[in-house]
Amino acid sequence: MFIARSEYDRGINTFSPEGRLFQVEYSLEAIKLGSTAIGVSTSSGVILGVEKRVTSTLLETSSVEKIVEIDRHIGCAMSGLQADARSMVEHARVESQNHAFHYNEPLRVESCTQAICDLALRFGEGAEGEESIMSRPFGVALLIAGFDEDGPSLYHAEPSGTFYRYDAKAIGSGSEGAQAELQNEFHKSLTLEEAELLVLKTLKQVMEEKLDSKNVQLASVTKDKGFRIYQDAEMEEVVAKLPKN
Amino acid sequence: MNHFPQAWGRPRDDIYGHYNSSYLQTANPTQHTQSPVVTGTSVVAIKYKDGVVIAADNLASYGSLARFTDVKRLRKFNSSTVLGFGGDVSDMQYLDRLLNDLDVKENYSHADDEASQLSANNLHTYLSKVMYKRRTDFNPLWNHILVAGISSESEPFLASVDLLGTTFSSPSLATGYGAHLAQPIMRKLVPDEEAVKGISKEQAVDVVKECMKVLFYRDARSMDGYSIAVISKEGIEIKENEKLENQSWQFAERIRGYGTQVN
Amino acid sequence: MAGMFAGPQEMMGYSFNTAPTSASEPRQHSFYPYTDNGGSTLGISGADFTIMAGDTRSTSGYSINSRHVPKLFLIGGEGPKNKGARIVLSVVGFAADGDALKEKLDKEVKMYKYQHGKPMTVSACAQRLSHILYNKRFFPYYVHAILGGIDEEGKGALYSYDPVGSYEREQCRAAGAASSLIMPFLDNQVNFKNHHIPGSGEGHDLKPVVATPLPKETVIELVRDAFTSAVERHIEVGDGLQMMILTKDGVEEQLLPLKKD
Repeated sequence: MFIARSEYDRGINTFSPEGRLFQVEYSLEAIKLGSTAIGVSTSSGVILGVEKRVTSTLLETSSVEKIVEIDRHIGCAMSGLQADARSMVEHARVESQNHAFHYNEPLRVESCTQAICDLALRFGEGAEGEESIMSRPFGVALLIAGFDEDGPSLYHAEPSGTFYRYDAKAIGSGSEGAQAELQNEFHKSLTLEEAELLVLKTLKQVMEEKLDSKNVQLASVTKDKGFRIYQDAEMEEVVAKLPKN
Repeated sequence: MNHFPQAWGRPRDDIYGHYNSSYLQTANPTQHTQSPVVTGTSVVAIKYKDGVVIAADNLASYGSLARFTDVKRLRKFNSSTVLGFGGDVSDMQYLDRLLNDLDVKENYSHADDEASQLSANNLHTYLSKVMYKRRTDFNPLWNHILVAGISSESEPFLASVDLLGTTFSSPSLATGYGAHLAQPIMRKLVPDEEAVKGISKEQAVDVVKECMKVLFYRDARSMDGYSIAVISKEGIEIKENEKLENQSWQFAERIRGYGTQVN
Repeated sequence: MAGMFAGPQEMMGYSFNTAPTSASEPRQHSFYPYTDNGGSTLGISGADFTIMAGDTRSTSGYSINSRHVPKLFLIGGEGPKNKGARIVLSVVGFAADGDALKEKLDKEVKMYKYQHGKPMTVSACAQRLSHILYNKRFFPYYVHAILGGIDEEGKGALYSYDPVGSYEREQCRAAGAASSLIMPFLDNQVNFKNHHIPGSGEGHDLKPVVATPLPKETVIELVRDAFTSAVERHIEVGDGLQMMILTKDGVEEQLLPLKKD
């Protein structure tokens, strides 16, 4: 097994005899090294939450950007190689603006996710006539939250180019524990406020550092306000609601 | 030293006389057909209850010179379609080669499968895309083509496409002078699709022959030798060396108003 | 081009002629890539319907190419017959460009449904059509397009275009050969231009009648009147009247005869 792996994990688009693309599988490992990110969808909107790894007391925590806006109605949280996420987000932003320009309507969340995933497989040597733009797969996964004509939705996009819609999803280093927690705690009638707390509570459980208002970040997507990253004051307010222990 | 690159390495005209630059590359722009050269005149066609009758004379003119008198302007495409070409003859020959290649390819991909063969409407669509593309590239194929045959729905099919890519279909069609001289005669017989159902093959052939005669009387670029084809579900009957019959030039005596005879 | 070197050459004392470096004069192109195939179209939107109409004559100069060449097209339905389509495009002008435009828009609307998993709205289609036209502004589609449908609120929607994509949502629009005959009639009968409330004042104080959406039956009558009148006075209009009535239930097509002279 290990021998087969070392022979077939060099070629970026070469299947192993067992039918696996090792480089793609390895890229999924890169995400497991990333900080935890959680998304929870409710009937009134979606909450995204990430842990910021504050590696130094000298670090300006506001410069850690792990939740970004794609359009007024779509935002995403990331886990893995952040630099890779930048090109994906840039692509999604352009796609979203192009759609609005061409069709005079906002891009749907699923179409946005699809657009990002179309980009994910454009690594390797490139097929006939088509330019390849990347030498390796992305090393980042995204949680894409948005609000469109069908209401709020949350998608998980992987470097493999596959995506699924979730009610609640955790990615990154603490994802296993966090996903189990979400599995237990999630129900369809969650309010946005309950979802905020669920995200924070789950993050708190899987984070190595002690959770405070500086090392986590929340964002929401709702019908009225669209995508919005929580301000420092709001973060303090929400963190204060967490049960102390 | 001379500062003009054009002069470098070249004999001076004031010493050696005018320099013959004809061997140098003259970077002319790509030339496109701006007007037709050797041309064919009208094509006429009419639908009848079981098929279509189409005819065109065998003349290719070079301006007012009757240059070639045995040019076949009706072309068979597989067993269901005949194309009639008006306009530039070299462009017709180009299209003929293009369609020959298409036919060969089609026969490779589904040999002896009658049902999946390209029918007249398929061919018309294909031709219209070729013609529209060429006009869009400002390099038109200078033709007006009638496509006559049997459609995919096994109905008589007749449609036209011209050098601009304009397409239309009608129970009877004619290109060039035929549009002015033959169409009124044919429309009297088939004013609409409904009337087509009441027309026999003989009636259609007769009216087409009559139209060819009228065109020969009045179109100076026409000839009395012509080709005529009948396309039906049974196949294609094509006759390429027909002669106009029962001509009567008696009407010529009564023409007044131009030439030396002013009134 | 030769003149460019004439001055310095004299000064330098050289007397050779420079070979022309490119085609000396612009060539005149005698091929004109457009023609006018005549005909007229019109569209009127109501409270919960839109009616599109066009004659079916195709012309080249004084000749009639055919008496039945439709100018109204269903956009974005299923299969080759566009079943279930809810958007109608009408094009008048150069028919070959009209066909090309129709096919491009139809393709894009169908692709949109595959890519986004929902049928395209009229407003989205309207914006898309504008861009398709504008993208070819240096070699335009020589057509006047009118797009009809039902909007997201269930109201009749009608968009009219110029050949390079400038567009506007309107209550009614006539385009093509007889547009100058039909449009003033529509202004008067649909938007109640020059209608005043009798006795509401003198001169400028006369109150205009406020336009209200017309019932479907009235609009169908107006369309027929508009075309029968246009046929009388315009030689490029006639043969047949194709009408498409768009409601929330879909598109109903009607074909009526017009004078063939």
